Amino acid sequence: MVFHDFLQWLEGSPLGHAMRSSGVWTYAIVNLFHIVGIALLFGAIMLLDLRLLGAWRSVPLASLSRPAVTVAGAGVTLAVLTGIPMFATKATDYADNTFLFLKFALVGLALLNVLALHRSPAWRAQAAGQALSVIQERRLALAAGCSLVLWFSAITCGRLAGYW
Amino acid sequence: MTVRMLLLAALFAAATTPVLAHHGWGGNEEKITELTGTVVKPVSLAGPHATMQVKVANVVWDITLAPPPRTSAAGLRENSIPMGATVTVRGNRSLEADHHEMKVVLVVHNGKRYAVYPDRL
Repeated sequence: MVFHDFLQWLEGSPLGHAMRSSGVWTYAIVNLFHIVGIALLFGAIMLLDLRLLGAWRSVPLASLSRPAVTVAGAGVTLAVLTGIPMFATKATDYADNTFLFLKFALVGLALLNVLALHRSPAWRAQAAGQALSVIQERRLALAAGCSLVLWFSAITCGRLAGYW
Repeated sequence: MTVRMLLLAALFAAATTPVLAHHGWGGNEEKITELTGTVVKPVSLAGPHATMQVKVANVVWDITLAPPPRTSAAGLRENSIPMGATVTVRGNRSLEADHHEMKVVLVVHNGKRYAVYPDRL
């Protein structure tokens, strides 16, 4: 089966070997930075999403969206870069871990939401500091709601994967 | 005043919640049982928990040990127990009858005791 072959290949890769043979604290340290990445991501999206949903209207959106997107982007990058080696450590052990693969799907959906949002005229307008129409505000609020639900669900599944 | 009392109570409750609450061993039995078998996959000190596999009467058991630093600190290293050696393990087995997995607190090999969770013995 292709899927199981992939898990075996990942586990047997130099990355998997390095994770298993570089000391008893390796996994814990990589895990630490995985959590730091998630904290950066979730903290930053929480600020931006709540603003898009109508909180702190006195804060100019463009002033908040730029740093929030930078921090969230750094956070998700860190989480992915640490997540791959953690997965590679014992990839075949996760073959029937429903929550882990549900998490991957949710992260994918959350990233598609980001992509769609950043391509929307409403997002370009706010980035340029322009006043937004009611329709545009609703477009941004919809993306913010999806963002909060998807990322929170992804984190929930990620945590549950450890208890599976 | 009442708020402060509540906060203190919450803090106290959080501080005294046993370490056991981590992972909860939710899917495993409360009682400790013992298995004796042959090592078919030696100790691996990788991942969130150290692991090994023991064959008991033609059934391979997945043994989950403590996290790698704790297992190593208990003296149990990757080369401590060779393949094919006879070991006795004590721990909490999975609640599912057909899931041969045990969260092990003690490994005994050749008269040597490795208590990876001495507080749970």
